[in-house]
Amino acid sequence: MPTRIMEPTVIEVRGLTKTFGAHTAVDDVSFTAPTGRVTGFLGPNGAGKTTTLRCLLGLAAPTAGSALINGKPYDQLDQPRRQVGALLESTGFHPGRSGRNHLRVIARAAGIDASRIEPLLDLVGLRGAANRRVGGYSLGMRQRLGLATALLGDPGVLVLDEPANGLDPAGVSWIRQLLRHWAEEGRTVLVSSHYLAEIAQVVDQVVIIRDGGIVADTDIAELTTSRVTVRVDRVEPMLAALRADGITHDLLADGSVAIAGRDAADIGAIAAGAGVTVTELRGLSAGESLEAMFLTVTAGEQR
Amino acid sequence: MNDLLAAEWLKLRTTRLLIGTIPLALVLSAAAVAGEIVTGHGGTGAGGLETSEGIRRLFAVSGSGAIVVLVVGIIISAGEYRHGTAADTFLTTPRRHRVVTAKLAVSALIGLTAGLLIAAVSLGVAVCLYPVKEATFPLGDRDVWLTLAGVPVYTSLFAVLGVGVGSLARNQTLAVGSALAWFAVVEHTLVNLASDIGKWLPAAAGQAIVRTPIYGLLSPLAGVALLTAYAIAISTVGVRTATRRDA
Repeated sequence: MPTRIMEPTVIEVRGLTKTFGAHTAVDDVSFTAPTGRVTGFLGPNGAGKTTTLRCLLGLAAPTAGSALINGKPYDQLDQPRRQVGALLESTGFHPGRSGRNHLRVIARAAGIDASRIEPLLDLVGLRGAANRRVGGYSLGMRQRLGLATALLGDPGVLVLDEPANGLDPAGVSWIRQLLRHWAEEGRTVLVSSHYLAEIAQVVDQVVIIRDGGIVADTDIAELTTSRVTVRVDRVEPMLAALRADGITHDLLADGSVAIAGRDAADIGAIAAGAGVTVTELRGLSAGESLEAMFLTVTAGEQR
Repeated sequence: MNDLLAAEWLKLRTTRLLIGTIPLALVLSAAAVAGEIVTGHGGTGAGGLETSEGIRRLFAVSGSGAIVVLVVGIIISAGEYRHGTAADTFLTTPRRHRVVTAKLAVSALIGLTAGLLIAAVSLGVAVCLYPVKEATFPLGDRDVWLTLAGVPVYTSLFAVLGVGVGSLARNQTLAVGSALAWFAVVEHTLVNLASDIGKWLPAAAGQAIVRTPIYGLLSPLAGVALLTAYAIAISTVGVRTATRRDA
């Protein structure tokens, strides 16, 4: 496996737990997001993504554990808008205030020069609607205004909760390019989604959460190194052989088996040793590997 | 802190809250003063209207504008939760007590300004309408000026109280409804049930500040002290609520 110089970790969530009464929304969650990369935070709706991000952003207090940005809890950050840009689903706008005035208010409170506003309105495509009241904006326009708000302080860290919500396919593609561009500029990007396909092409690593717990934390580069699916006539002896050899594998929903870190010749030998016949064998693209993993780790028995 | 004060002021300038409410406070106060003069107990001529009690009763009704200002204070704080702007506000200023402090300061200034306008309008209405009742408005009387001076104090403390109530309740509709119910019904009922505790309640403290001629009220200065204490106490709890609860 190629060695990679470890980038400094910018977002660090450690043992994070958040309970609401008897309900544990987030249970002992730990993961990191390094600089210069897009970290996908994936999970089905209700898995605990938004709660985790709200704890990270100081909007909700963790019951246990910590969530740090640049080594500090959010509320200890100096001039947080210049360090962290956030887009949250729960964030609202005053319906009677124009989009431009919304940005002016936040720039004023954050001590950010108002000259940032016009270029951002251009970037998100809201220049023409900037003087209209937000109450008349579509969901997609609100999402664009939220993005402009996140970028107001030119932050090195971006935390975006479901940024593609409400956007049309062209908007989703635009978001993907932005995410990639920000990471290439050396920013840290943490982006959540319940819909894998939205961000599969742009993430460098994925953290998958289900029922409040992390079920997978993987580098995309690792997924692309020889991940192969195989279909065999009798799956049980094949799984037993893989287990016996300590080979990482997943049984996919369609009955095929995804195997990491082995090439076709190895797999053929294992199958022969187990006395099963290979009926189909193919390599998986990174997207397919990610999807296979996402489905496997999120589709199991609900706790 | 200057940036925060400017931002809170900008929030108010970029919505219709003040334009929609402060004129209402002025109209209510003017109408109340006019009503008191025209239908009041002073009778025609120099009799009641020109007495100290007549003048104090007159401007006490201008305190009805204070309720409007209280509602403005509630909307300034609870409105952030209603529209979901609290998250963006706290992302900008995670030390939430600073946000509430800025709101308290801005609302106090709004209350003060509204109170000065209410006092001016009330005075204007009185000067114009006294001749209708064949009375002369005693502009030189110190009762006039002492009473009018209480109005901006009353309204600024009520605005501050409103911000405190709003950050405590967070549900704007509930907060406005409870506050109106309190001042319209609950406090009167309490006073009727136990008149000796009545003077210690917030509305009575406000009435004392504008020297309302009701038997048993505190002195104006004691009213200021008591209403300030209420405002500080409720705002302190409001700050703690805003800080500790998840936004």
